Amino acid sequence: MANPQSSATNSVSVDTAAIHFSDKKSKASLFSRYTEPLALLGALVVLVLIFSSLNPRFATIGNLQNILSQAGLPLIIGIGATFVILIGSIDLSVEGVMGASGMVFVLMSANSRGGTDFGPWAIVAGIAMGVVLGLVSGLIYTRIKVPSFIVTLGMWYVGLGVATILFGTESIPTLTSDELAIWSSQITLGLPNIIWVASVVLVLAALTLRFTRFGRVVLAIGNNEEIARGSGLAVAYNKTLVFVLAGALSGMAGIIATMQLGSGSATVGSGNLFITIPAVVIGGTALSGGKGGVFGTALGVILLTTLNNGLILSGVSPNFQSAVSGAILVLAIVATAWSQRDRLRISK
Amino acid sequence: MTTKATSQTSVLRLSNIDKKFGQTHALKNVSLEINHGEVIGLIGENGAGKSTLLKILTGIYQPDSGSIEVNGKSTKFRGPRDSVAAGIGVVHQEQSLFTNLTVAENIASGSKVASRFGIYRWGQINRAAAETLSIIGSSLDPSTKVSNLSFVDRQMVEIARAIRVDSTMGGSPLVILDEPTSVLERSETAILEREIRKLKAHGSVIFVSHRLDEIMRNCDRIMVMRNGELVADRVTSTVTEDELFKLMVGHEARAVSSSHRVVAADEQPVISVENLSRKGKYSNVSLSVHAGRLTAIVGSTGSGREELARALFGAEKFDSGSIAINGTKVTGWRIAKAVKRGVAYVPAERKVEGMVGGFSAAENITLTHPGKAAVGPIVFPLARNKIARTWFNTLDVRPNDIALDLARFSGGNQQKVVMAKWLNSPELSVLVLDHPLRGLDPGAAQTVNEQIKLACSNGAAVILLSDTLEEALEMGDDVIVMRDGEISATFDMTKESPSTLDLLERMV
Amino acid sequence: MNLSQTWTSSIEVLSNDKASKVRRIAAKGWQAVGPVVIFIVMFAVVSILTPTFIGGGGLTIVASSAAPILLVALGQALVLNIGSIDLSNASITLLGAILLAMTLGSVGAVAPILIVLLVTLFGSVNGFIVAYAQVPSFALTLGTFGIFQSAALVVSSATTVYVTQNGQAVAALYQSGVAGLPMTFILGIIVAVVSWAFLRFTRAGLGMTAIGKNESGAIFSGVRTRTLKIVAYALSGLMAGLAGITIIAQAGSASPTGLGSDLLLPGIAAAIVGGTSISGGVTNPINVVFGAMTVALVPIATAAIGIDAQAQNLVYGAVIIVVVALTLSRSKNSIVK
Repeated sequence: MANPQSSATNSVSVDTAAIHFSDKKSKASLFSRYTEPLALLGALVVLVLIFSSLNPRFATIGNLQNILSQAGLPLIIGIGATFVILIGSIDLSVEGVMGASGMVFVLMSANSRGGTDFGPWAIVAGIAMGVVLGLVSGLIYTRIKVPSFIVTLGMWYVGLGVATILFGTESIPTLTSDELAIWSSQITLGLPNIIWVASVVLVLAALTLRFTRFGRVVLAIGNNEEIARGSGLAVAYNKTLVFVLAGALSGMAGIIATMQLGSGSATVGSGNLFITIPAVVIGGTALSGGKGGVFGTALGVILLTTLNNGLILSGVSPNFQSAVSGAILVLAIVATAWSQRDRLRISK
Repeated sequence: MTTKATSQTSVLRLSNIDKKFGQTHALKNVSLEINHGEVIGLIGENGAGKSTLLKILTGIYQPDSGSIEVNGKSTKFRGPRDSVAAGIGVVHQEQSLFTNLTVAENIASGSKVASRFGIYRWGQINRAAAETLSIIGSSLDPSTKVSNLSFVDRQMVEIARAIRVDSTMGGSPLVILDEPTSVLERSETAILEREIRKLKAHGSVIFVSHRLDEIMRNCDRIMVMRNGELVADRVTSTVTEDELFKLMVGHEARAVSSSHRVVAADEQPVISVENLSRKGKYSNVSLSVHAGRLTAIVGSTGSGREELARALFGAEKFDSGSIAINGTKVTGWRIAKAVKRGVAYVPAERKVEGMVGGFSAAENITLTHPGKAAVGPIVFPLARNKIARTWFNTLDVRPNDIALDLARFSGGNQQKVVMAKWLNSPELSVLVLDHPLRGLDPGAAQTVNEQIKLACSNGAAVILLSDTLEEALEMGDDVIVMRDGEISATFDMTKESPSTLDLLERMV
Repeated sequence: MNLSQTWTSSIEVLSNDKASKVRRIAAKGWQAVGPVVIFIVMFAVVSILTPTFIGGGGLTIVASSAAPILLVALGQALVLNIGSIDLSNASITLLGAILLAMTLGSVGAVAPILIVLLVTLFGSVNGFIVAYAQVPSFALTLGTFGIFQSAALVVSSATTVYVTQNGQAVAALYQSGVAGLPMTFILGIIVAVVSWAFLRFTRAGLGMTAIGKNESGAIFSGVRTRTLKIVAYALSGLMAGLAGITIIAQAGSASPTGLGSDLLLPGIAAAIVGGTSISGGVTNPINVVFGAMTVALVPIATAAIGIDAQAQNLVYGAVIIVVVALTLSRSKNSIVK
């Protein structure tokens, strides 16, 4: 008998891994709570310094406003995506939803094809289209239990199809109101309108996560769905609601993207998925769910947008853009998964 | 039964609860009563029916027959929600907290005051949680995130959640502590025991543990289960630990004197393990098994024997120590290497780890060691079928359909196929079996046992993690007892004949 | 309130049990004959609605456009079979096609071989990361999708690359044929048959299916799960490369937005319509042939029924969701992400 204590008494004190593990984990989480955003900020500072030295046009007020304008759309979409990823799911449908919502918006606004101008109702209808597509995704996902990446992959193309059908065979519908066309990039109080919209959404989303039952249930589901179900939380309902929220935000982004483009296009959302998902992941939201938040996503979006902007100003072809985002996504998921590697763990 | 039937103080009464799973009779006519303010100890060997009983109390299983009364009113638990509503809370061994939320949310977010119009009322939640925490005398800050707490603090949160105030049981909750101390250090156990005593003022407790001294210290009454029956219900002051041991084991089985293969003095063991350790699971385990010999390892939950078995198969890592097969130390030990060296492992989780459901029985048998069913990388289905048919006849697998999806066989017949998968290796050297008879009907159990003995007499070194102590005594050439990650005793059955009681005393 | 909750939850349990049974039967039936039947039905409908379809070489047209879809779908089916997904394979096809168009003139006959080897390597990198870093495959291949897409844009400078020399040799694959079916499609059939034999009659193939059916069970049976995952992704890359060759054979050029630039969803749809299970462990490459032909028929069929051909994206998307929803077998309490 190796341990004299164990032979002396029936109640043995064991050095258990569970305790040490939890201690280590708590220290790590306290630590990472501050290091993660700081690391992102640090990376941002480094990027700014490098790009400023490469091109004097980078560090100008005009370019700063430019970067913020470009960050607006991915930020709005990324907030929806953050909620979806927080419950451990994924939404690949954003570009399709953007196309459908944008098309509804342009066709119901004053456009080159004529037709009735519904004014602000066009915006409401565009967002409603996003809500409907998000609701359908959410219901198929939670009620029929089709994995979210398949539902939303299908819904991506359904959205594109809806947009194409709405587009029809007539001429391209162009927004006739200049006011609408330039609204998003107009500067109010020093910042482009789109970043004001995104900021409002960001603050509302952060408040939702912190101060509403819905927000806390989202975090609970993401942490452990089985316990959430066992504790009697309305898991399916809240998960569906998350997809509705994501659909609404994608719809809103589709409308703004259409304003920026000035005309209707099914592929108006093209490329946005590729900035959004890496941004959410490097912003500290774990693909496994339950961990992360919208401010991290905002930092991630700004970092990626700055990177893309800086690369272009440094003379790198825009063709590299999706490779940059893709490579960052790969690095981010590998970095997060590395510590949890275990021969017996199953990941699909 | 010594229970007084005073219905005023009876919090929970079970009458004639019966539950079967297929051929396994998990609970036989169990009746018991728990009064307000009582701490009940529940003990029994693995498989005695404790966990089935707890799952019925928490609404996870529904009894086949019998009735449940809460506060004198007959009731049915159709799901966990009903049980929670009746004021029954469980503190599981594996914790069930949302680690990314605060202490207060975990305790009180289910209460009615927690939110209004969807807006979270942090003040109310923190206050309700603080109130509940003060009942059990804990001074935890309700706004701390659970992920920042130590293990024992998390257990306090679990207890607080279990007794949360808004139960319908008239403020008299029943808290079930399921092996709460098995992962605690001694000082932490003391804290927990203090909490249990405080709880008595507010409700009742069922305390499940495999440590008898803890049971004796903390419980007013002790219930003993064996083979699905409640065999004793005693007031603590009237029993001794020795009596409890005997009640748990039933008849005091002695080792049957069967022939044991004698090992020559200079004979090299097939597998020898030296000072194998894994932090928090097992430490300094040394053992060796010779060809044709069977070593049975016994131990209760948390003894580390399961983790040890998986390490021998290369499925889990170990921190230090060494494993040698036929005298050569292994390096970079993992499953693929183990399989190559003729090590086989029959896991306890048959459906998840032991077999590939969806594959036919024939495909399962030849998946690991195809033998003549494959030439190089190419598989020949006809040869495969021939091999499978031979095994089906040898092991009497039913239905006699080798092409049938293995998932559709009964548990016993699945286990026969799992055995065949490993026995199909011509170079079987070490056979590690983790609860090979779990959930098997007697017929299948006999077949599997015969095959284990046959493999052994054919020269394999067998390591058996048995379900029962009798099984270990009957099958083992050596019996090793593990307690809290260490070997507490080794019996050489050629020289000694210990009883089940001897084993049990070194387990707990 | 409690009572009504219990009531509805027990109803849910009932309907879920029934639904899972229906799904199980639907899945079995679908895997056996579904792909063939649905193709025949659609083909008949189109032939009746558009009488000139058969006379005008309709089957040849379907087979030509099905060829790249089929090859991409076969690779996807092998990856789905191990319980993962490859969202990057269509972008590998396009990159391969562009590289082939650029090199065929200068390097000549060795070019297709080199490029297929190169993209096989790309595929195995996907597999290596999935197997060893244990990241979710959809997220990883979404990332590498972006990288390959960029690579295609960069090497082609975002324009159409024309084959300058030796184009005839590759084009012959498209122009020659057997029984009205172009060689590109025949190539697809050959790959399908080989894949079928690989899955049924080799230890590696059976090991892959075991991973898809129960990865833990496969690990504990000594199956080399990591190696086989890499092989599955490598084969997906290889078949994507072959699909790239069929694109050059058919078009004589390649561009990031031209023929074959939108093969991802048709590829997945063809694999799923061909009876491949999204949760792994079930696929029959022979049936994927019919899945690919069905998918290739979609634009023609939608036009014949009078739906705008532009709506085919919608049809692809809806088909994937509906077929998966109908054939998915899941227990009522499983957690789906």
